[in-house]
Amino acid sequence: MKIFNRNVLSAAVGAIILGLSGLAQAEETIKIAVAGPITGDVAQYGDMQMTGAKMAVEQLNAKGGVNGKKLEAVLLDDQCKPEQAVNVAGQIINQKIKYVVGHLCSGATIPVAKTYEEEGILMITPAATNPTITQQGYKMVFRTIGTDDQQGPTAGRYIATQIKPKKLAIIHDSQTYGKGIAEEVRKTVEAAGIKPVLFEGINKGQTDFSALITKMKKDGVDFVYYGGYHPELGLLLRQSQDQGFHAKYMGPEGVGNKDISAIAGPASEGLLVTLPADFSADPANAALVKAFKDQNLDPSTPFAMPAYAAVQVIADAIKGAKTEDPVKLADYIHKNSFQTPIGKVAFKSNGDLKEFEFVVFKWHADATKTPVK
Amino acid sequence: MPGFSPLEFVQQIINGLTLGSIYALIAIGYTMVYGIIGMINFAHGEIYMIGAYVGLLVITALGLFGMDSITAILLVTLAIGILVTSAYGWTVERLAYRPLRGSPRLVPLISAIGVSIFLQNYVQIGQGARDVSMQPLLSGGWQFGPANGFQVYLSYMQVLIAVVTVAFMAGLSLFIARSRMGRACRACSEDRGMANLLGIDTNRVIALTFVLGAALAAVAGILVSLYIGKINPTIGFIAGLKAFTAAVLGGIGSIPGAMLGGIVLGLAESFASAYLKTEYKDVVAFVLLILVLLVRPTGLLGRPDVEKV
Repeated sequence: MKIFNRNVLSAAVGAIILGLSGLAQAEETIKIAVAGPITGDVAQYGDMQMTGAKMAVEQLNAKGGVNGKKLEAVLLDDQCKPEQAVNVAGQIINQKIKYVVGHLCSGATIPVAKTYEEEGILMITPAATNPTITQQGYKMVFRTIGTDDQQGPTAGRYIATQIKPKKLAIIHDSQTYGKGIAEEVRKTVEAAGIKPVLFEGINKGQTDFSALITKMKKDGVDFVYYGGYHPELGLLLRQSQDQGFHAKYMGPEGVGNKDISAIAGPASEGLLVTLPADFSADPANAALVKAFKDQNLDPSTPFAMPAYAAVQVIADAIKGAKTEDPVKLADYIHKNSFQTPIGKVAFKSNGDLKEFEFVVFKWHADATKTPVK
Repeated sequence: MPGFSPLEFVQQIINGLTLGSIYALIAIGYTMVYGIIGMINFAHGEIYMIGAYVGLLVITALGLFGMDSITAILLVTLAIGILVTSAYGWTVERLAYRPLRGSPRLVPLISAIGVSIFLQNYVQIGQGARDVSMQPLLSGGWQFGPANGFQVYLSYMQVLIAVVTVAFMAGLSLFIARSRMGRACRACSEDRGMANLLGIDTNRVIALTFVLGAALAAVAGILVSLYIGKINPTIGFIAGLKAFTAAVLGGIGSIPGAMLGGIVLGLAESFASAYLKTEYKDVVAFVLLILVLLVRPTGLLGRPDVEKV
């Protein structure tokens, strides 16, 4: 009797699941988890990543998918928080998803990279730039973006050779990403003989910076490097202008999105930002850029093309290696190179890109940007 | 590191007073509720957050309707903000506190935390989880000091915050000291049971306390959306924590204590940022709280004899 009940039950559950998935989905798909902030204060970056990844899945499916199977993007929200990222990793394991594009924030990526390595899940982050992620000897972890020890020196060299500030202040948000890149910048400028007059952290979520701005004004600071994300920098810019503190600011790609202009308004004019090169300006990507624009999506954001590239690397590897086993795929990815919208990519043994370039952009109050170098 | 500059010191005092005024406005809500029912209203930070949202929405809407007089915008926004958040304050009391009156003290505490979580998520669903920002309504200010040295900058906005804060605090003090309802509040604070026996509708007094606290939180929220210009549904947590600290620092249950506590906390954060490092400002604020409580366990202006049941 009991067995009978269980059969009935499982049949019913099966029917419900089939019903929910719409019967049309009877064919098997290759699931790729896309993990990053969908809500929270840096959800804009999650958008960029999801946009790129979804576009890649769509276009690959339009060309018939991979080895006869369709790809399916599973979007998961880590809110850029380490504890939430761990939950997301749990979901990925439970759903038996074998490939992850993400996570986005370095702080959220570090704890889960270890999990994916241990569980044999292939992870490619198109956005997390903290160097330590790939310094753990992981075999399953890759990234399709540069690192802070490339980005920091790019910013540092620009400050030392082009700006030559009399008094430099370096501020960071005391988080993995912000502090890491601020330290890289400090190392580079100190090697060039510039000693920052101020190196200190603010608290994430802080909204009043008047005391810090007063201190920088008194010390005669004329250039500020900020390591962190846009919500805090936007307010710093705005309150600096309010207090009549007119130093120039520079930040990493974590500040480069249009919300900084929404928060800081005119004070965001002239902000310097290091970003990945604008791949949407590359003529080779013209058709792809058009596909984005046809859907009213923005291909020029820093993480859209790297996310596209991450999905494509996974798909190409599955085709090339003729297997879906993530461990074998990781091996294949290490050994081969891939033609993607961010150029021909090949990976070092630690999973970092062999080449990646950051470019200095000047930000404008209307949220547009122009390259300066 | 260049040495001490007296003008910078003045500027840091201005910064600290501005921050402290906001803390003080929110702290009053905590202290009043505690003074009368001996409990902490954990949903108070969210009421402040709702005040900030109402402020931002109303100011944006008035801008769309073409209203350009800053005084008029400010008065209308304050009026609408106070009305809306008062309604929220009253509702919190009706839903989370009144039905549980007479139950153990932990029960309404938990229901208030529930309301706080609910309100945060409710605003997140209604307004989105992302930051909302607004361009400054009032910019500019006065500068003092030598032309080639450090200039003290006092913005119109900082003056506005100080003026509005002083006005509302004076109004509240007068209300508590002089009006009939204010006298009832003081009576309830002293002995709620006795006040009830003497014919005071204590339920009404308690509801009024929540409403007054919410109104002042709305004022703080509106000032913050004007001054900072960027809000999100989670701002209530940190602001609430800081204001609660200010209330305890000043002596919870005492209204002048909450004002003093807010100002002291604002100044402490400002000086910590200025003369130590910005990352230590919260550490300094909480160390100060511990030190004060070690020396005066009831806070700066708290009454030592009160033992609430």
